[in-house]
Amino acid sequence: MTKKLAMAVAALALALPGTGSAQVKIGFINSITGPEAPIGENLTNGVDMAVEDLKKQGVNVALVKQDDTGKPQVAMSAMEQLATGDEVAAVVGPYTSATANAVAKLAQQYKVPQVVPAAAKEEITKQGYDWVFRLNAPAHQYAQSLIDAALAFGKPKSIAFIYESTDFGASVASAGKDYAQKKGLKMVADEAYQKGAPDYRSTLTKIKAQNPDLVFMVSYVADAILLMRQSREVGLKPQAFLGGGAGFDTAQFEGEKDISNLVYSVTQWTPESSKAATAFADRYKAKYGKKPTYHAACAYAAMMIVGETAAKNGGDRKKIRDALANGSWTGIMGKVDFETYEGFTNQNKLVMPVIQYQGGKSETVYPKEAAQKKAVYPFPGWK
Amino acid sequence: MRTRLQVPLPSRAPRGFSVVGLLVFVAVVAALAIFPQFVKKPYVLHMGVLLFLAVIQGQAWNVVGGYAGQYSVGHAAYFGVGAYVTMMLLEVNKIAPWWGVWAAMAAAVLLSLVIGSITFRLRGPYFVLASISVAEIIRLATLYFKDFTRGAEGFLLGEIPTMNLFGEEILFIGKRPFYFVGLGLAVVAVAVNWVVQHSKLGYYFQAIREDQDAAHSLGINLSFYKNVALSISAAFTALAGGFYAMFVKFIDPNTVFGLDVSVQIVLLCIIGGIGTIVGPVIGAVVLVPLSEILRNPKGLVQVGVLSADSGFVTFVERYLSNAHLLVYGILVVLVILFAPEGVLGVIRRAAARWGRRPQDVPPTAAAKA
Amino acid sequence: MIVFLQSVLSGLLVGGVYALIGIGLTLIFGVMRVTNFAHGELLMLGMYLAWLAFTGLHLDPFLSIVLVAPAMFLWGAFLQKSFVNRVLGALPQNQILLTIGLGLIMSNTVMLIFTSDYRILTTTYSSSSYKLAGLSISQPLLYAFLITVAITGALYWFLLKTDTGQAIRATAQDRDAAQLMGINVRRMSVLAFGIGSALAGTAGALISPTYYIFPQVGSTFTLKAFVIVVLGGMGSVVGATLGGIIIGVAESLSAVYIASGLKELVTFVLFLALLLFKPAGLLGKTRA
Repeated sequence: MTKKLAMAVAALALALPGTGSAQVKIGFINSITGPEAPIGENLTNGVDMAVEDLKKQGVNVALVKQDDTGKPQVAMSAMEQLATGDEVAAVVGPYTSATANAVAKLAQQYKVPQVVPAAAKEEITKQGYDWVFRLNAPAHQYAQSLIDAALAFGKPKSIAFIYESTDFGASVASAGKDYAQKKGLKMVADEAYQKGAPDYRSTLTKIKAQNPDLVFMVSYVADAILLMRQSREVGLKPQAFLGGGAGFDTAQFEGEKDISNLVYSVTQWTPESSKAATAFADRYKAKYGKKPTYHAACAYAAMMIVGETAAKNGGDRKKIRDALANGSWTGIMGKVDFETYEGFTNQNKLVMPVIQYQGGKSETVYPKEAAQKKAVYPFPGWK
Repeated sequence: MRTRLQVPLPSRAPRGFSVVGLLVFVAVVAALAIFPQFVKKPYVLHMGVLLFLAVIQGQAWNVVGGYAGQYSVGHAAYFGVGAYVTMMLLEVNKIAPWWGVWAAMAAAVLLSLVIGSITFRLRGPYFVLASISVAEIIRLATLYFKDFTRGAEGFLLGEIPTMNLFGEEILFIGKRPFYFVGLGLAVVAVAVNWVVQHSKLGYYFQAIREDQDAAHSLGINLSFYKNVALSISAAFTALAGGFYAMFVKFIDPNTVFGLDVSVQIVLLCIIGGIGTIVGPVIGAVVLVPLSEILRNPKGLVQVGVLSADSGFVTFVERYLSNAHLLVYGILVVLVILFAPEGVLGVIRRAAARWGRRPQDVPPTAAAKA
Repeated sequence: MIVFLQSVLSGLLVGGVYALIGIGLTLIFGVMRVTNFAHGELLMLGMYLAWLAFTGLHLDPFLSIVLVAPAMFLWGAFLQKSFVNRVLGALPQNQILLTIGLGLIMSNTVMLIFTSDYRILTTTYSSSSYKLAGLSISQPLLYAFLITVAITGALYWFLLKTDTGQAIRATAQDRDAAQLMGINVRRMSVLAFGIGSALAGTAGALISPTYYIFPQVGSTFTLKAFVIVVLGGMGSVVGATLGGIIIGVAESLSAVYIASGLKELVTFVLFLALLLFKPAGLLGKTRA
């Protein structure tokens, strides 16, 4: 019934341009194939759902999807195509830090509003780009939330870092190292690895010998699983495994019960955070048969905001930018407001909750106000 | 032990000057130079830039692989050094790329001397493997020493400064300026190849290619001339790398030092036909558009060749997207297998066949032979 | 000390699988003097076959080798008969380019079919290990190692004791002489490529539970396989076995004592040094 109504509304919108509801062309750059594709899929789902919901509101989005394969140079040519060839009103994406950062430069150059849904690299919104907006929290918050949580649960003294040497891994890890030092944690290992040769046994053995209280890992999905598998293999047993979002906050990782159990991860969003969020999660689950990750929620929220704003401003890039900079929205991500503060430009402020996988289910355990379950700390050891 | 080449040397070592060839060459360059006046679609110009880039790479490899017969599958080392030095000088030291690229070329030449001194002692598969290993070592080191190279994060180009050429201000925005720079560099690369081919150097190189031992017994200093060939080749590959970095605006170790960069350069020449000037050009003309269409069939829509909902675009997008190297694979297999003689003649025949087409002949004396 | 022993042990286990890859390559080189640059892609195909068997037929990756090995044998024999056979007398660079071309076709075709996503196999023992005197032994790696040992043993027996095996060795020693002795050299070549391909595919299936699977995974292994083979001496099966284990241990140790990010670099440096100072390899008899 509602669907029919929405279609009627959409048809009306098409027939009567300029009556408030309109057709807008929006670009969406994402890792559709490539190593980050398993996470990229969540973003695609979120965006697709947003496009449907926008249609119900009378906003007809012509979505132009571009695959960046996880590579900055591909993302850049996709952005060029969107900006000059397809002439989109605004762009949502890309997913990874490296691609989002590369595209941001072009968004600024071509004066196309860009909303970054889920990339963590600090610099993206720290370069004074007034055409670039970021919905998710930047890298230092990943590290802070996790380390704060660990310090709230116990008394860890030392920390080891293992992370992939990409924009994302390096940004989160270096923020983590700074914050750990501030909090008086001793760094006993600092291991960056290259993607593509997933034998971390020796590195993990080395870390194990240092006997760190905390092990902080940053990686995308395939490596997150293999890192934890091999940690179990070599019997690495710190007080807590801290996973820096991304690969550690995916359905695949959650599903690997043997190794995900009691691992902490930081996240941009949880389904329990608000009623709207729960409703979104339910609809998403009904549609795609799995729980939405924060990537899906961020992408959905970003698309909703961009769609609404673009429609209201008749697809005018400059007007859209001004509206994004000045407006605020309330939805599944809570209140979204792109602000300029502490060196950031157009950065949404977001508190990142910490989750822990307990028996194959992620539970919010930090901050206290949001916690649903008590954290299990320290890590009791492998079964 | 192996069947050596039977074609006598002089027939394949063109000398002299072909007026017709030169005229054709000038005509082609002139046509390419005025081309952007008529076609302004960014996608077409983009393709043009990639084509010129491939021509520079191919011509550069040709000097050491084609004339001197040293099949380096490690040219990514020079390409990457060119890209990194140019990019870092611009981003870190604010040195304009048209100055930085000289430093890049010098660095590549130095590197080639080191690599040459290691690898030229080896032959056949051992040489190929050594050249690959060296490039891989550089790639891995660039990834690892990230304080200096930024590791896997790579470099994102900020802005190319405005160039002041005889009072004319040139802004490097859009595809047009790159098109002209690319064309100019490609012309230079072809010219250098011509000079090499028609000089004494060219003779020595080919003598080494035909029979190293014989060349040695004739008193040709093998390692010296191999190194000269490699240096010239490295310099121009670095030039291509610097140009690539400025054009694509993002480099990281895997995209400029990766094995597929080296392989692509070699295959480009092999498929086109090595040891001639036309060969790499043909290779570029065949391969660049083919692989670009596979990578991004939507471009054809933009150019107006196809409509957006055409079955071809959907088909390519759904079934062939991002497999642009497939074309290289299929073509190289076909080239190597289906040639009259199946020995080194494979390449020779292909090249000769190409060379005989009159419209494609820049100033080589292939037609005379 | 425990760290040292642990990394030697991990290296040893991984090295066993490397050895299998190396033996396949060295056999092909020995019999045909063809440097097969598509070797890593054959391994990649083995990984995908194991993955398909696992997701489609719910077949354990270690059991799937009974399907993967014959399938890859046939595939290798086909490649040899239709492509490689035609360039046997050609210059080494032409053979290399042909196999590079075949490799590109394989990896890109797989990418078209399966996209470039990374796949992971999850078995019940994926992250399990045995503990022994403070050392942990990865179960999937141990199984892979044991199967490798069994296969290598069988292969040695085949090469040394059977008529066909001896014919293959004779061809490897001197192709012309073998032909004069009435050995069907062509058949031996097909066999050798088939066996080499089956070994590469099997190695792929064996590491699939502890690795991730994507279309471009092959090129790393191609290079690694060459390092192993040259280390042991091109054409020497014993050399390749030894080379695999040496490289496995060297990688593991350099990850611990130098840096994780440099372990492959160390391998290549070793390789170059060897090429320069002892190009025939540690146990090499043949020289191209």
